[in-house]
Amino acid sequence: MKNNNIYEELSLIQGRALKIHIAVVVLFVLLILIFWKIQILDYKKYFKLSESNRTRQVILPHPRGLIKDRNDVILADNKASFKASIIRENCKNLDESYQKISRLLNLEKEVLIERIKKYESLPLFQPIVVKDNLSFEDVSRIESRKLEMPELVLQLEPKRSYPFGRFAAHVLGYLQELSPEDIKSSLYSKRRLGELIGKAGIEKQYDSSLVGTDGQVIEIVDSLGRRKGEIERKEYIQGKNLKLTLDFALQKKAEDLLEGKEGAVVVLDVKTGEILALASYPDFDPNKFINRFTPEEWLDLINRPEFPLENRVIRGLYAPGSIFKLTIAIASLDSGSINERTSYYCSGKTRIYGHPFACWFKGGHGAVSLYNGIKNSCNIYFYQLGRKLGIEEIHRYAKELGFGTKTRVDLPGEKEGLVPNPQWKQKVRNAPWYPGETISISIGQGPLLVTPLQIAYHTALIANKGTMISPHLLKSNEIHSGREGKRGSMAKKHSINIKRSVFEKVIKGMWKVVNEGGTGRAAKIYGYDICGKTGSTQIVSVETAEKMKEKNQEIKTHSWFTGFGPKDDPKVVVTVLVEYGGMGGATSAPLARDLFDLYRKRYD
Amino acid sequence: MIDRIQIKNIDLTLVAFLLLNSILGVIVIYSCSHYLPGNYHLKQIFWIVISFSVLILFISIDYKFLMAYSFYFYLIFIALLVWILLFGKLVAGTRSWIKFPFFQIQPSELMKVAVILLLARIFAEYRKEHVIWSNFFSCCFLVAVPVFLICLQPDLGTAVTYIPILLASFVLAGLNRKIFIFLLIFALLFGIGGWTFGLKDYQKKRLTTLIFPSHDPLGAGYHIQQSKIAIGSGGFLGKGYKKGTQSQLRFLPARHTDFIFSVIGEEFGFIGVVIFLSCYLLLLSRLFLSVKESRDRAGIYIIFLAAMMITSQFLINILMILGLLPIVGIPLPLLSYGGSSLLTTYLSVSLVLNVKMRRFVNV
Repeated sequence: MKNNNIYEELSLIQGRALKIHIAVVVLFVLLILIFWKIQILDYKKYFKLSESNRTRQVILPHPRGLIKDRNDVILADNKASFKASIIRENCKNLDESYQKISRLLNLEKEVLIERIKKYESLPLFQPIVVKDNLSFEDVSRIESRKLEMPELVLQLEPKRSYPFGRFAAHVLGYLQELSPEDIKSSLYSKRRLGELIGKAGIEKQYDSSLVGTDGQVIEIVDSLGRRKGEIERKEYIQGKNLKLTLDFALQKKAEDLLEGKEGAVVVLDVKTGEILALASYPDFDPNKFINRFTPEEWLDLINRPEFPLENRVIRGLYAPGSIFKLTIAIASLDSGSINERTSYYCSGKTRIYGHPFACWFKGGHGAVSLYNGIKNSCNIYFYQLGRKLGIEEIHRYAKELGFGTKTRVDLPGEKEGLVPNPQWKQKVRNAPWYPGETISISIGQGPLLVTPLQIAYHTALIANKGTMISPHLLKSNEIHSGREGKRGSMAKKHSINIKRSVFEKVIKGMWKVVNEGGTGRAAKIYGYDICGKTGSTQIVSVETAEKMKEKNQEIKTHSWFTGFGPKDDPKVVVTVLVEYGGMGGATSAPLARDLFDLYRKRYD
Repeated sequence: MIDRIQIKNIDLTLVAFLLLNSILGVIVIYSCSHYLPGNYHLKQIFWIVISFSVLILFISIDYKFLMAYSFYFYLIFIALLVWILLFGKLVAGTRSWIKFPFFQIQPSELMKVAVILLLARIFAEYRKEHVIWSNFFSCCFLVAVPVFLICLQPDLGTAVTYIPILLASFVLAGLNRKIFIFLLIFALLFGIGGWTFGLKDYQKKRLTTLIFPSHDPLGAGYHIQQSKIAIGSGGFLGKGYKKGTQSQLRFLPARHTDFIFSVIGEEFGFIGVVIFLSCYLLLLSRLFLSVKESRDRAGIYIIFLAAMMITSQFLINILMILGLLPIVGIPLPLLSYGGSSLLTTYLSVSLVLNVKMRRFVNV
């Protein structure tokens, strides 16, 4: 082939390439000689160096960023705490060490061993936390045995503390120890085992801002674990501080009012979407999570029937009851199926599609106009409106008015609720839609589900006459303070596609609810124009309720009130839900009144 | 685009050597990172799979075609390098990464493949015995542009790896005495100029510690010292897999990337070093010897430049961990953790496969 003249003569450059190849082979042989020198001839010298080369990495834990209310009241703080860790490498006899440590720290040996097992995969020189929140006695006992027990070390660490205990627990959330499973996930790749991470609420939502960076010291130690010097030192960086929109006084009031009940309260700034108070009861003490629960305490907390860990404001799903009549009214006015003078006659009961339907007021309301329909929450009136609208229109307007979608508040785990329509029913229940169901939906019953926050958002939409806001809790992050401003201005631009005059008419009805002896009269404050709507949702089906009523049994209902004030320049929305509270006007409206009153005193 | 004869002519031995070294890399990466979060060994396997797929894709395209468009590839990568300088995110002090949702890539690595193709294209029709000045300067210029941009990131290590590629092309084309002397003088001047104006303080320190390693044992000389301790204390048989105290106790910096060969020295000993070096030499020799099987000038250039790129990076890295060259961030191709470097190495090997499998087709 060599002289085949189809191919170019390339032997010159091929020869050059092969010469370089030979040079590379020679270099590799030289490399092996160098390794021979270092690894065989100088082996003893380097081996000694590596033996005396022992380090210990000491972490300098960072404090999390503070969480403050809108007036800089600190809601989540840090305080110094001591913890004891074991370094297995320094144990002469593991079993004996465990014995001694369990006696010294008053820990059961099994608990201790179990804990160490959990972190078995860590290298032997890394300390494993065995007890934290040490008392002064513990600290001094460990300190005095420092020399005889090099395996037990003390570490100082800043610890999350919530100075007001249960206060705003559902907003703040809680922290939990990072588990060995969590740490494999890339989300927490920079975190340490045993570190506390946000598992709910603001602590979770803004976890990445709240955490800082741990510092570390790499110490050179001798074979007995004694410190000989430092190789490297990096100071910790504290996490960013967060400022919330919460108002301490309003939040406190809201929680006091809910005390002993099961329910939820939201106070929302109508113009900005800032959440001034967000309370859910029963609640929990987030401090408990820091100090490692006993298994019984934890099981009790998650298994209690009233679910204290659930934030009812964003995760509780309820039928809106009569509050939904506002949606029906808006839909009917906007679509032109009625005007404000349309009236129907309420005799206390009626038959629609061949089924009997009753008004909550047995005696009947007589001739009912739109305003009185809202004011007295007349079921018959809204049955008629719902029938005229049909389920598809109701569905469309309910979606437009904030139901069935998340409000995208900055809290994790928000639920979106449910606005049913025939397609939904076909898909989920595999049954056709019955016209009678539309009638139930017209008064906020049936499969309709909303969260208290959606109700508050919905009320703000009405108060703003269609301008959307986005409810949020973060006022500012001390580093990126521009964020909140951006949010506010962005929200202001959007409006939903419903005429302003429609809202004005509904607002007039809502004003009568509170101020002209309507169902929400208990919320009335002289000199402050509150507009509102009550709701009482049956927890049992309509049919069962009818039967129970006939037998004069007491029906437990969830009690709603939502409203805003003042009428002409709306500033604040208050939404109250009390589970099993009875009629909305009786239980929830007075609570809302107290909150409106406090708001007026603080901000007017 | 690809026919049966070509598939029959794929150099499977070369592919086998490539995969062998990649897998050896994963084994060592696992040893020195299993106690860290991040699953580096799994990510590396993921990158091997990706790189191998790209390799297969690449050999199906005729290298002549790739070469014909090499100047466009070159321009695209120049544009990318400028783009990341202007808009890239600062990662660990440099702007060398383009971030994607699940991974990130260094265009400065992939650029090398474009440069190899471009140089091969320039010299494809070059029948003179020696490089002439005009050619010399145009090649220098074409390589200097990306090198300059990469220095600005700043990523001196990657920038340095371009120089052997350029020099290799001159060596192949033939250096006459004048150009050789010019290169020497230029290097000297550049060295002095760079020392006074270009280098940052920490880089100067690295150079001085090269000459006096014990000068500052806890400072810049520390890494070299620790690396040598790791290698030396491995002895003849090594301390055993996952048992190297230097790496497990974190005395070694960048254990799974730049200093991975120190871990090999510590855990597998001299025996291990000889085995790893032999495996690598098998791959490199296979690449170099492929030169004989190319039937056109461009093919020879591609094979030789690809081989030289991998060889030079390997040698610089080994000399660096032995304390014979200053520490610049150059990964060990195939063995070190890192997707971009791996992908670049696979791409250059794919070019060699490409030339070899088409040796009977392109007349």
